[in-house]
Amino acid sequence: MKRFILAFIAAYIFLFVWGWLLNGVLLKDVYAETPNLWRPQSEMMSLFHWIILGQALIVFSFVMIYATGFAGGGVIAGIRLGILLEIAAIGMRLGFYAVQPIPGKLILYGSISGLIEMIIVGAIVGAIYKPAPARSS
Amino acid sequence: MNWKKFFVAFIAAFVFLFVFGFLWYGTLMQGAHREVPTLLRPEADFKSYFGCLVLGHIVMAFFFTLLCARFVSAGGAGAGATLGILVGLVYAGPHLISFAVQPLTVRILCGWIAGAVIQFAIAGAIVGAIYKPAPEDIIYVKERSR
Repeated sequence: MKRFILAFIAAYIFLFVWGWLLNGVLLKDVYAETPNLWRPQSEMMSLFHWIILGQALIVFSFVMIYATGFAGGGVIAGIRLGILLEIAAIGMRLGFYAVQPIPGKLILYGSISGLIEMIIVGAIVGAIYKPAPARSS
Repeated sequence: MNWKKFFVAFIAAFVFLFVFGFLWYGTLMQGAHREVPTLLRPEADFKSYFGCLVLGHIVMAFFFTLLCARFVSAGGAGAGATLGILVGLVYAGPHLISFAVQPLTVRILCGWIAGAVIQFAIAGAIVGAIYKPAPEDIIYVKERSR
């Protein structure tokens, strides 16, 4: 449990900083090209707790999947899980691209950064989380 | 990896994900989506992007099936559904983030989250029920003599 919480906190901190750096700084100009798709800045700030909750849900579910099906495999297993989840998410992103007028380059940048993000999240979780040793009678 | 079973499970997952997506997001939630017309492509525009929708579902189904095969090595609908619920929650996270940054309604948010969890739970159960590892991949542990 202790390892689970530690892995969750470490991965969450990374995801939060990465998300801010990517969406709040690097891609700021790309988002500005389609203002009708986004809430005004002040409205986003008033709903900021939803971002925190969303990122926490991603990390919590990720660590849960790792702990129940991949634990013991270390960093490599974490990275594998991250890649599988993110490539499936790229498929979902393509679906969104078909129905929403989101710029193609935003989908491309989002998919590349998402892959890097989940590889690092997987490596962090794989490095920190260790299954509890089996009890000897 | 039992590729024959994997392929059957992948096709079943793709068909289910696509049909469920059409029924849930395209039909049941159509009214909710119409509340935010600026966030959606016009009908004619959508038709020209239909290939992306199909490709997206193929990619999603393939890698989800691969994940199930690695996660639930012994197979089983229950274990597949459990993984599906967790995967649905991973993808529900970005929906919460989208709600904060895009002018979505609470109705759409709830529909998307419920849709993701139900869709992947059932897809996981389908894959878990179909996919079974090849006999040579199953490791038997010899019982120790007492």
